[in-house]
Amino acid sequence: MRSEGRVEIRATNHRAPIPRCPMERCDFHLERGYIEGAGPQLRGAEVLPLDMADPQTQQGTAWAGFDNVVESVSKLPQDLFAEVCQQIMLYLQCKIPGVNTLEMVERLQAAGVELDLEATKELVHVISLFFRSAAQSNMSAEELIAKLADSSSKWSKQMLQVVRHVWTEQGKLIATPEDAKHMLTVGQLVDLEWKLGMAVSSDNCRSLNHPYVTMMLKVANPSGEIISRSFEMTIPQFQNLSKQFREVATVLEMV
Amino acid sequence: MAEQHSQSLSGLLSGLVQLIYYRNSGITEQMLKEQLYPDLPQQDFRILLEKMAGILRSIASADMDLNQLEAFLTAQTKKPNGITPEQATVLTKFWKSHKVKIRESLINQSKWENCLRNLSWRVDLKSQSRHLDQINTPVAIVEFELGKNNQIFQFPLEYLHWNVTQESEFLCLELNEIKVNQLLNKLAEIEKSIGALSYIS
Repeated sequence: MRSEGRVEIRATNHRAPIPRCPMERCDFHLERGYIEGAGPQLRGAEVLPLDMADPQTQQGTAWAGFDNVVESVSKLPQDLFAEVCQQIMLYLQCKIPGVNTLEMVERLQAAGVELDLEATKELVHVISLFFRSAAQSNMSAEELIAKLADSSSKWSKQMLQVVRHVWTEQGKLIATPEDAKHMLTVGQLVDLEWKLGMAVSSDNCRSLNHPYVTMMLKVANPSGEIISRSFEMTIPQFQNLSKQFREVATVLEMV
Repeated sequence: MAEQHSQSLSGLLSGLVQLIYYRNSGITEQMLKEQLYPDLPQQDFRILLEKMAGILRSIASADMDLNQLEAFLTAQTKKPNGITPEQATVLTKFWKSHKVKIRESLINQSKWENCLRNLSWRVDLKSQSRHLDQINTPVAIVEFELGKNNQIFQFPLEYLHWNVTQESEFLCLELNEIKVNQLLNKLAEIEKSIGALSYIS
């Protein structure tokens, strides 16, 4: 981070300044399911990165139905369910890089719980999505319980009790997108590559005729590591981006 | 009576668009039948629905302009088991008002890369420094917010109310005046290419 002296904000295009927070950039990578620097042991195990962008889990094949998940939960003794929730919370709070489902299944089976790896993965995935959704909507424990009870009649009092307890204690510590934002460090632009494309046709539209701009940014982190990110823009979006940069240039000149 | 039919058809087309293009899982065929064509026998309703869906798909897929639309619909009226002139009128009116939105949704459906959700920036002035040559150096901090387009991660029907937005990735860059100008040069190259494109298309 900036160790060089006083910094004065001279201009900005948004109301709140981008805060700088000297925290680890763990979240940036975690959200994408990266486990860089996590060490060899994590690569070997089945760490579920809970990458929400993962198309596999979006499709119908991964979901056996919500009631199934609740049924799986009901197979767990209360204390084990609490442990599972705890693990998930630790992950969402970015204290661990992922939930080790392999280890979890072994633990559960050792305790006599009949759940296979698939069912466990599904359970972990669904519960973390509830927690994440509840964090994003700033739900209280009561609201979360109510919503869960609404979703399925199979929740038992004990299970909901566990959720209430875990949520009350730890819910607010979950890193929400705004927090994740603060945890990034500032990088240097190394290179910008671009491409102008034309989407001619697609499976649901034979006559798409849609021009777009794709950009690839190569950024160097303070640690020296270079990362690439690409993104696509429509022509109006690109023109807006150009306009913003011209404004930035103007301000830089004036200062 | 004809007015009633036109209104029902208009409603049906809106419902179909919700179903096919906006993937609104809150609407079902059954709902459409009950609300718009309660007295029509189930089989007849199915036929009507499929016919209209097929026509809508053809129109949207070809991104028809008004001339093409007219020719297409006229041909449809001449076919056996085709459409009536009144239905053609409703379809024309419908396409005129919905064309842009439907096209947008088609474009979005085939966008699978990250898109730029937001761009924020500010300019800082370093007024004191260990390194003398950095006094009074303005620097821009730019933050790109990136995310996948299919933003709302929707669960299957029973989880409907658990919409969770896929979180954005933030890319934060520091750029001095030189870098910004280099970047502007690149952006100008892109704009030139876009200009050339308009001549071709």
